[in-house]
Amino acid sequence: MNLIIMPDIIYLGSAFVIPLLFRKDEKWAGFTASIFTFLALLVSLLLGMHILSEGRLIAFAGGWKEPLGIALMVDPLSAVFLIVTNLVAFLIVVYAITYMKKYTGTVHFYVLFMLMLAGMNGVLISMDIWNLFVFFEIASLASYILVAFGLRAEEMEAALKYTVMGFLASTFILFAMALVYGLTGTLNIPDFMNAVAGLPHTHMWFIVGLFISGFGLKMALVPFHTWLPDAHSMAPAPVSALLSGLFIKVIGFYCIIRLAANVFGEIYQIKTVLIILGVVTMVLGGIMAYGQKNIKRLFAYSSISQIGYCAIALGIGGYLGYLGALMHFIGHAFSKSLLFLNIGAIEYVKGTTESEDLKGINDQMPYTTLLSNTGMLGIAGIPPMGNFWSKLIIILAAVRAGYTGVAVLCILVAVLTLGYFLKLMRTVYYSKPEMKAEKKEAPLAMLVPMIALGFMVFFAGILLLPAIRTVTLDRAVNVMENFSYKTLHIPAQHDNAQLND
Amino acid sequence: MIIYLLVAIVFFVGLYGIVAKKNIIKIIVGINIVGYAVNLLFILLGYKWNGIAPVMTRKIELSEFYKYSVDPLPQALVLTSIVIDLAFLAFLAALAIRLYEKYGTFDIDKIRRLKG
Repeated sequence: MNLIIMPDIIYLGSAFVIPLLFRKDEKWAGFTASIFTFLALLVSLLLGMHILSEGRLIAFAGGWKEPLGIALMVDPLSAVFLIVTNLVAFLIVVYAITYMKKYTGTVHFYVLFMLMLAGMNGVLISMDIWNLFVFFEIASLASYILVAFGLRAEEMEAALKYTVMGFLASTFILFAMALVYGLTGTLNIPDFMNAVAGLPHTHMWFIVGLFISGFGLKMALVPFHTWLPDAHSMAPAPVSALLSGLFIKVIGFYCIIRLAANVFGEIYQIKTVLIILGVVTMVLGGIMAYGQKNIKRLFAYSSISQIGYCAIALGIGGYLGYLGALMHFIGHAFSKSLLFLNIGAIEYVKGTTESEDLKGINDQMPYTTLLSNTGMLGIAGIPPMGNFWSKLIIILAAVRAGYTGVAVLCILVAVLTLGYFLKLMRTVYYSKPEMKAEKKEAPLAMLVPMIALGFMVFFAGILLLPAIRTVTLDRAVNVMENFSYKTLHIPAQHDNAQLND
Repeated sequence: MIIYLLVAIVFFVGLYGIVAKKNIIKIIVGINIVGYAVNLLFILLGYKWNGIAPVMTRKIELSEFYKYSVDPLPQALVLTSIVIDLAFLAFLAALAIRLYEKYGTFDIDKIRRLKG
């Protein structure tokens, strides 16, 4: 069996098997889900090993040849995303086994979670626009339902907002895909990339505008960000961690890279648009985060702010820009998942996420506080951690490309980020509690995945060491720099034999 | 050309429903209209006037067949898209009912506990 589709088969299969096995007794559902996720992680690591030796893997669904068959491909770029996604997802599922005990109907939770992961993995392996769209919708629909999972009034309100806006996003994307098909007659992404170079600029502007507004809405760039703080703060903690750490980047950022980045060379103004959107997102997200009372909401706004960095780096482009974007994705995926899992642990023990009701967490939950500090300093960009290097690279790239103002704003927002996290530390974690509460740490089963994530946050910078970078990140950046897959491309010829049968 | 304009009008009618209406049910109807408009556009892109169905029922030259048959791919894609829209509709309808149970209203101006 082909290795490329294995992660998807594992996730879809587990979504099918879990409700059959655990209809009566849902005690072991989470354990089974975590085993499946671990299998998918192993497969994606195996895929990564293959990529190291072979460059890229291609398969065609059903054995039909290009351009008729649906192309599935794993190249270094998708391999990086695939491994990070499955690694973080595995830790989140392990955490969810304990956390979800206070909810009922956890079987449904795991089914939806697995469907969401299946959709994300499917997006990462597709090289066919329509296939990408269908997996995109599977992941999105599962995420809408997961946001409303707690069935409290506020959660459903957030889900309604998220669903209506998410539907608009997918409509824009569908619209753009219809235009692409009408103009080029192909749905294959490499084919489309070759065909799009010959299109008039006005058509390209329109299509790329639709793609950026659609995927930008999923990625929560600022004019389209209003759903994110509600949805990410209201979802259960494991869902928030997956949404904030991975979902907005896999569904938004990666898709923009795949579908829109190839025209950047043709119309460079698109890059300017991305930089402007990114700067507005970064600054506004940072400022809005400062005044938040609810800690989860603060983290959600911080996610908006950090996704701005990714957009800026993508807009600047070049080797440094793309490397910064990729590194920022990795660092932020680890640290933001860690923070959401942490606040989930605090919520599990104390029952609230309002910063006014939480005082002196350090005295009661020292390990959780330590891990929170790791995550917060990681996002704020304190030297040994991953995001410090990514921010440094993005700032360097901005200066090199001549965007000095953007670089200055990046530094200012980094300071602002540190500011609101230090404020949070002082008011919540290290303040004097009103009454002496006894020491009560989160359960060990929740602490272990958090500790693993904490180590990853701390050592993410290792990826930038030259020996490791040349075989992993540099290859992915190389994919981002020259997007045409002319070698994969076989000239379109209709297969007459099949029609004659 | 005029038919594409009509599709655009349908699209904007749906968009108006989503943006301007306050009732959740009307918003859901607007969402469906937008979805139909895009599906219709997709179908139209593959359509040929006076075309034939893309099924080879009798012996016909392949070049002739290509010339006259409509493109079947958009129809297959739109079928998938309709299914996705159906899933959206089902979820949104269920959500609307649950919201009505909690808030006692369909008015989105009154469903407003989250802010900041």
